[in-house]
Amino acid sequence: METVVSTPAPDEGRSGWRLLGRTVWEQRGGIALGVTAGLCWTGGKVAVPALVRQAIDRGIASGSSEEVARWALWIGLSGLVAAIFTGLRRYLAFYEARKAERRLRNRMFAHIQALHFAYHDRMQTGQLMSRANTDLQAVQGIVTMIPLTISNLMAVVAATVIMLSIHPLLALLALGTLPFVNVLGKRFSSRLHPAVRGLQEESAQLASVVEESVAGVRVIKGFGAERVQHSRLSKEADDVFGMAMLAARVRSTFLPAIELVPNLGLIAVLAYGGHLVLAGQLTIGTLIMFNFFVLFLVNPLRMLGQIIAQAQRAAAAGERVSAVLATAPAIADPDQPRQLPELSQGAPRGAVRFEGARFGYAGEGDAQVLGDFDLRVPAGASVAIVGATGCGKSTVAKLIPRFYELDAGSVSIDGVDVRELALSDLRSNVGLVFEDTFLFSDTIAANIAFADPDAERAQIERAARLSGAHDFIVELPEGYDTPIGERGFSLSGGQRQRIAIARAILADPRVLILDDATSSVDPEKEHEIREAMAEVMRGRTTIVIAHRPATVALADRVVLMADGRIVAEGTHAELLEHSEAYRQVLAASEPGGRHG
Amino acid sequence: MAEPELPPRNPGEDMPLPAVIRRVARHLVPQKKRVLQAMALIVSWTGLALAGPYIIKVAIDDGIEVGDAQMLNVAIGAYVAVKLLSFLVHRRQILMLSRVGETFLRDLRVRVFAHLQRLSMPFYDRNKAGVLVSRMTSDVDSLQELVQTGLMMLVSNGLLFVMSAIALSLISWQLTLVCLVAVPFVVLASVRFARRSRVTYTNVRDRIANTLSRLQEGITGVRVIQAYAREQGEKDRFAVANHQLFDAHVAAARLQGWYLPVIELAGTGTTALVVLVGGYMVHEGLSTLGTVTFFILTLMNLFEPIQQFAQLFNQVQSASASLRKLFGLLDTEPDVPEAKASRPLPDDGAIEVQDVSFRYRAEGNYILDAVSLSIAAGERLALVGPTGAGKSTLAKLIARLYDPSAGSIRVGGVDLREASTASLRERIVVVPQEGFLFNASIRENVRIARGEASDAEVEAALSRIGILERFRALPEGLDTEVNERGSRLSAGEKQLVSLARAALVDPAVLVLDEATSSLDPGTEALVEGAMNRLMEGRTVIVIAHRLSTAEQADRVGVVAGGTLAELGPHEQLVAEGGHYAALFATWQGGLTRAAS
Repeated sequence: METVVSTPAPDEGRSGWRLLGRTVWEQRGGIALGVTAGLCWTGGKVAVPALVRQAIDRGIASGSSEEVARWALWIGLSGLVAAIFTGLRRYLAFYEARKAERRLRNRMFAHIQALHFAYHDRMQTGQLMSRANTDLQAVQGIVTMIPLTISNLMAVVAATVIMLSIHPLLALLALGTLPFVNVLGKRFSSRLHPAVRGLQEESAQLASVVEESVAGVRVIKGFGAERVQHSRLSKEADDVFGMAMLAARVRSTFLPAIELVPNLGLIAVLAYGGHLVLAGQLTIGTLIMFNFFVLFLVNPLRMLGQIIAQAQRAAAAGERVSAVLATAPAIADPDQPRQLPELSQGAPRGAVRFEGARFGYAGEGDAQVLGDFDLRVPAGASVAIVGATGCGKSTVAKLIPRFYELDAGSVSIDGVDVRELALSDLRSNVGLVFEDTFLFSDTIAANIAFADPDAERAQIERAARLSGAHDFIVELPEGYDTPIGERGFSLSGGQRQRIAIARAILADPRVLILDDATSSVDPEKEHEIREAMAEVMRGRTTIVIAHRPATVALADRVVLMADGRIVAEGTHAELLEHSEAYRQVLAASEPGGRHG
Repeated sequence: MAEPELPPRNPGEDMPLPAVIRRVARHLVPQKKRVLQAMALIVSWTGLALAGPYIIKVAIDDGIEVGDAQMLNVAIGAYVAVKLLSFLVHRRQILMLSRVGETFLRDLRVRVFAHLQRLSMPFYDRNKAGVLVSRMTSDVDSLQELVQTGLMMLVSNGLLFVMSAIALSLISWQLTLVCLVAVPFVVLASVRFARRSRVTYTNVRDRIANTLSRLQEGITGVRVIQAYAREQGEKDRFAVANHQLFDAHVAAARLQGWYLPVIELAGTGTTALVVLVGGYMVHEGLSTLGTVTFFILTLMNLFEPIQQFAQLFNQVQSASASLRKLFGLLDTEPDVPEAKASRPLPDDGAIEVQDVSFRYRAEGNYILDAVSLSIAAGERLALVGPTGAGKSTLAKLIARLYDPSAGSIRVGGVDLREASTASLRERIVVVPQEGFLFNASIRENVRIARGEASDAEVEAALSRIGILERFRALPEGLDTEVNERGSRLSAGEKQLVSLARAALVDPAVLVLDEATSSLDPGTEALVEGAMNRLMEGRTVIVIAHRLSTAEQADRVGVVAGGTLAELGPHEQLVAEGGHYAALFATWQGGLTRAAS
């Protein structure tokens, strides 16, 4: 029933390699096809220099036009083979790589959706984003390289064999320097990488100055801070420039050298081979073929040099990806879920009960938020929880839909422990409206109908009316079909909260929890909603966490919390009369209350 | 999902390419010398690259074929010299070209940012923050990518292509004609590829953006998704977006999959033709073996650039799109410009608001309609009224964050439109509702209001409003880093920093936007004390959300429906029994209920 959070131990990147291995194995068919195409490319490509040799020696040099035509035809044909398979090799390589990326990203997304709140509390959004984006790109890149690398490697081997079989010493001279291309390529890649990384970091710092300046433009304009920000940005721009130039210096050190090295082989071929031809010990065609091969092998060797560093980076990326995938959801469905009791028609549902609940966000320990918390909310009743910031009232709200696991004690709904319910069953019966509203980039209608995308327009409008959102929605350019969110229409905080409440109303839960859900709604407007809320609360259990006395007064009963415990209980009027602590908490939160 | 409304078109989006190039050239004028040096280096490097095959031709024709060992040695010596020279030129060239490109980018960054800072509030209202940030990030980054990897390839490949063509035709026009056979295929395929890749890669970019925003929403919204047990629905939605991205990638791979073979085949096909025709010509004594070899080796260099061109095309396209957007932004005129013949605002004097009307958009509704008001120096005026009635707008006009659509605002007799921006920001300071913090220390966050202020001045400002001790008590005192958006400070502490900024500027006129949300009781008192100290001896316009604040002001202005409905001291307005009296009565009623 309860799964332990497994934090993957550092294993020197082994989990990353395992992830890469598994990914490749799962797509072995497609990748094998890509490798086959690559090998056909190798055949066509390596044949060309050898055929040119024949064309020169047997055709051009020996004066036979027939031979020239024959070998030219062969060159054309192997060119055709190389051409077809260069396209196919590339297509198949990319296809499989993108497929791997797609599959892993779907898996990650699904896994992220299943991970518990505590995980998301610790993990930054940017972190997860970069794992599901940048890191997957690295994994994708290495899958692409598999067919390319194998065929390149085979090309190097085949060319070497051909050359060795014709003239071993000349072959050694021609190819002797080429391993340095490989070495230089590897060093280039590992030296360039930190510079590129540094450039990314500097760019990110610059971006954060820009972001701040745009988000804080009101402050900048209000205080005339343009010059200060300008000099901050100039400094960041200088840093970016410095890093970019560092990268340029690395490139200027290695790229010309990588180009020079194969030419040393060419010079050796020309010098030694040229004299061999003069001495009649080598044909001119062979000399040209060697020349041709050296030029041809530069690119494959360069790529082979970079592949190792690239694979290491991909493994590191794979490790970060598998760290996410290996984290087991701490809160999961029980093996044999129970069902919430179906009560007779019209009978109130949603009795909530906390018994000896103990909870701390860091697990059991001294930072306890709730200690032996007991609360009984009868079905259909409404309770307001009041208390100073940090007293644990929001935690109570989050424990009912089992967003966190209790350290001890229990929470139950209609007599069933929440841990015995399937999560989807539990959560569709508990509606929680959070303090910070989150809306999706979608239409208003879709946002309200989030719990039930098939809901009819009439249902959506009813929910919006009850939450006091209908009036402003119909005034928007496209009414309920107005897109909102980052790329759509911007709503005020109060409007967003009202949509979030409508979303909860439409879900029609047994237990409705409003966690400071009207804090941004204008007090005047809230007054209007209040009457509709009374209707929403009928027939279901409602837990309201609020500051404003008028909102608190909506509930049948009020519970005052302090330090994770209930310190007073009663109706609003009773508490006002008898509890000094209650009066203080309310006075602190009511604007102007300090004068009363 | 409904597609969001199209954002307003950017100015400059349809700038023709020659205009973009002219504009870039203009930005490069300060670096004229370096640009010329870089060009000279590239031309010599390309020339040296072509010299290699030519020397081999000489070695074959004048050395090997005629049995002249001396000539062969000369050729080898020349080859060594050419390659060493090329190595050195290549190094300088990379550095020089990078320096030109990176300097251009740094200046562009600073220039665009400075322009963004110069643009006024109406501009920020019209444009979404994310879009503005992307100008400075993704748009400049796409240029950076071009400068780092593409630029040199682009310039040197183009040059190589042209110079190779010239060299080939100089050595053998007949064989050059043979090579021309491939040109129509290459041109047709390239045009087709270019046209298609524009669509394909735009599609890829859109799909990436779409997938990433879905991903981000899935992560930031995970709590809501789990609360409504909508994990499966969201997974399905994500999988759809992810699959669309995959399809876009595959389409791009397919495009390359047919284009690459065409170019590859053109390359080998031409080689075969050169062997065929060249062989025949050698037999007829019309050409030499060295010439044929020269053609084979040069053709190898020639078709690679075309392939790279095709891959660069996409990079160039997105870079030029980015340049258009950036130039468009630079061409946007500030809505609230500084007058050419600006003069400083007098140190003191009454604020005269005369028949001021205002609307945000030319065709929109008037937010303020012919408001007139006079505020004496040293007076404290509270503006109250319902949300959206125009009280904040009036305050913003007084600080000249916007210009009135009609009428005028004068301070000490000087029209704000004629005042110099620097004096305006020194005399009139706006303290926004929420304390927005930048990612820096507390000290730097205060100093933002006056960049040249010394540490002592910053501390004096804090102590003037009685909050120095509060921040000194932190473990790292004023040097405490506030982290992203001030996440380490409470809402009240952020307010305090904001007030300290105003104290540092020490303005004659203070515009205070009172916070609506309530603070924790501890800081509440501190904020109130700091605010009172800050207001002493200044003209203050406070946008009051609490009637207790209004009560303490010299006069209260009730803004309703875009006009100044009531104006006078608190007692007078209460006695008059108008709108304000009613508001005050309700509020007092609420107080009694809450705290009696």
